[in-house]
Amino acid sequence: MPWFLHLALRQLFPPGRRFPAFATVSILGVALGVASLLVVQTVMNGFGEEHRLRIRESFGDCVVTAAAPVERPAELARALRADPAVRSAAPYAEGPALLRNGDFSAVGGVRGVDPLDPDQPARRYVAFGSFDDLDDGRVVLGAGLARALRVRIGDRVELWSPAMAERAEKGRAPLPVQLEVCAVILTGFTEVDDRAALIPLRRFNDLWALGGRAHGLTLRLKDPADAEAVAARLSAGRPGLSFIPWQHVKRNFLEAIRFEKTMLFFLMFIITLVASFSIGSTLFSAVIRRTREVGVLAALGAGRAELVLLFGLQGLVIGLIGTLAGFGLTWTILTFRDGILGEVNRLFGDGDMMAKVYQFSRVPLHYDASDFVVAAFFTLLTTAAAGLVPALWAAGRKPSEAMRDA
Amino acid sequence: MPEPVLSARGLTKAFASPAGPLAVLQGVSLAVLPGESVSIRGSSGSGKTTLLQILGGLDLPDSGEVTVLAPGLGAVRPRAALGRGVGFVFQNYQLMPELTALENVALAARIAGVSVAEAQARAHELLGQVGLAARTDHLPAKLSGGECQRVALARALVNRPPVLLADEPTGNLDERTAEEVMALMLGVVGSLGTALVLVTHSREFAERASRRFVLSGGVLSPA
Ligand SMILES: Nc1ncnc2c1ncn2[C@@H]1O[C@H](COP(=O)(O)OP(=O)(O)OP(=O)(O)O)[C@@H](O)[C@H]1O
Ligand SMILES: [Mg+2]
Repeated sequence: MPWFLHLALRQLFPPGRRFPAFATVSILGVALGVASLLVVQTVMNGFGEEHRLRIRESFGDCVVTAAAPVERPAELARALRADPAVRSAAPYAEGPALLRNGDFSAVGGVRGVDPLDPDQPARRYVAFGSFDDLDDGRVVLGAGLARALRVRIGDRVELWSPAMAERAEKGRAPLPVQLEVCAVILTGFTEVDDRAALIPLRRFNDLWALGGRAHGLTLRLKDPADAEAVAARLSAGRPGLSFIPWQHVKRNFLEAIRFEKTMLFFLMFIITLVASFSIGSTLFSAVIRRTREVGVLAALGAGRAELVLLFGLQGLVIGLIGTLAGFGLTWTILTFRDGILGEVNRLFGDGDMMAKVYQFSRVPLHYDASDFVVAAFFTLLTTAAAGLVPALWAAGRKPSEAMRDA
Repeated sequence: MPEPVLSARGLTKAFASPAGPLAVLQGVSLAVLPGESVSIRGSSGSGKTTLLQILGGLDLPDSGEVTVLAPGLGAVRPRAALGRGVGFVFQNYQLMPELTALENVALAARIAGVSVAEAQARAHELLGQVGLAARTDHLPAKLSGGECQRVALARALVNRPPVLLADEPTGNLDERTAEEVMALMLGVVGSLGTALVLVTHSREFAERASRRFVLSGGVLSPA
């Protein structure tokens, strides 16, 4: 160990003292900065991942559309299923319809789906009722839509499709179809929950006069992360069809989440910056207190660079330990997040805000190693700089004058 | 006649002050021969500390030059041989408060580039020579003033410099301890063959040097 590192550690953690105040407080400051940064990033990642998952589950990993309705969709689905990257392919059709229950009405985004598809993602979000009950006389509604229509499982809704208006006899209002609500889904994705109405594809084709055609297909892939590459590969040799990977389906939304995360990084980084500044000022006063020692070290032959390292390393060591402690603190906070959040809710009487606003049963998390690397890098950079400035100042003093300072 | 281990010729030094430049040294010359002891007395503010700092390379003269015979380096400017050309002992010990006696002494050797094991061995040996073999692991705060100054002496000599510069080494000590430390210092430099330049207010200690000077009016004259 070079002498200046040995001395730096001794000055940070003086022997014979159980509580090295300066080091402890500084390390705590850095740890808190790092932890707040990483907690926010990890939770943001969690929300982001959750949203990605919901986008994928609502729209599929890859959406196949065409300028005109797809003829013989079953055939296309079979062909696509043969691709090794594709797990399943299901035709769908969609369109708006007017829904009514007595005095309450709403516009629903009706989607024709395969009621027998075991991969149908709506199955996972059934809050009430049963998806298996879906047949030609029944409908699955999003929770928000069901609320707007004031219907529960077993209630009936009336539905008008645009095609029905065409078919109606001249001068007479079109007659609605009656559908019984068999399930209510709650995805947490407002856009879906407030609009979705699922009926069997066959029934949809019938009500929309679509014949045997479909509007498109939803693909589920073996590796959803690969969607962009798979989409590019599948679209080759299939003119007239466009393959849209899920990342592009709600691109603006995903971009917004990413941007939000970057902004939060900078906001949270200010905390680390503040911690570094306090390290800098504490280290500065420590260096001033040690001016005479600096002179003595110079008299003993210590070089300028070694003196800079002596104090610069103290900032770096604090940064290093603080970063590691911050990692530990992050993990602790996130592991006990439910308890912590429960306490906060109890204190502020906010009730179960998570469940109300986000429909998440717990705060979602997604650890991303790159967040930790970036946080560590910037923290070490600022703490090293915080130590370096006073170090350069100290090493720049003339030893004769440094030693005259009382 | 042997070559001097430390020689200064025509040193001048002035400091800026509100009342115009303050000429502290006005042509000081001095040659210190191997193993001899030189004492310098002078009233407060006469420039004794300034002179020692220039001799040791902690400060540069306005004019004139200093050479020191550093082991392994030959005759060089003292600034090029800090820690090896001369050893320093200061009035208020100037030990590193976070290091033990042994570590304080070894530090000087480590800075000079000596390995950890070798530095510790040398530090043990020198602390033994100044009579502190039983105090090696004590922090300076747990040592008396006399003991601190003995640690400082060991530190100043750990790299075997040919000259020891001592600036009022007994200034902070009571009479009896001062006498002990002074006797020890003279004994150790004698046995190591180190030359000594001693700045002191005490006429009695100054008398013990083989050559005696007084710094007054910016010039050094034999007492
Ligand atoms: N860096 C400096 N700037 C301005 N004046 C200085 C500086 N260093 C020393 N002086 C002045 O130079 C003069 C000599 O100072 P020096 O410390 O060498 O005296 P000294 O003989 O060691 O005194 P003492 O016996 O009190 O230790 C003093 O008047 C002091 O104020
Ligand atoms: Mg003085």
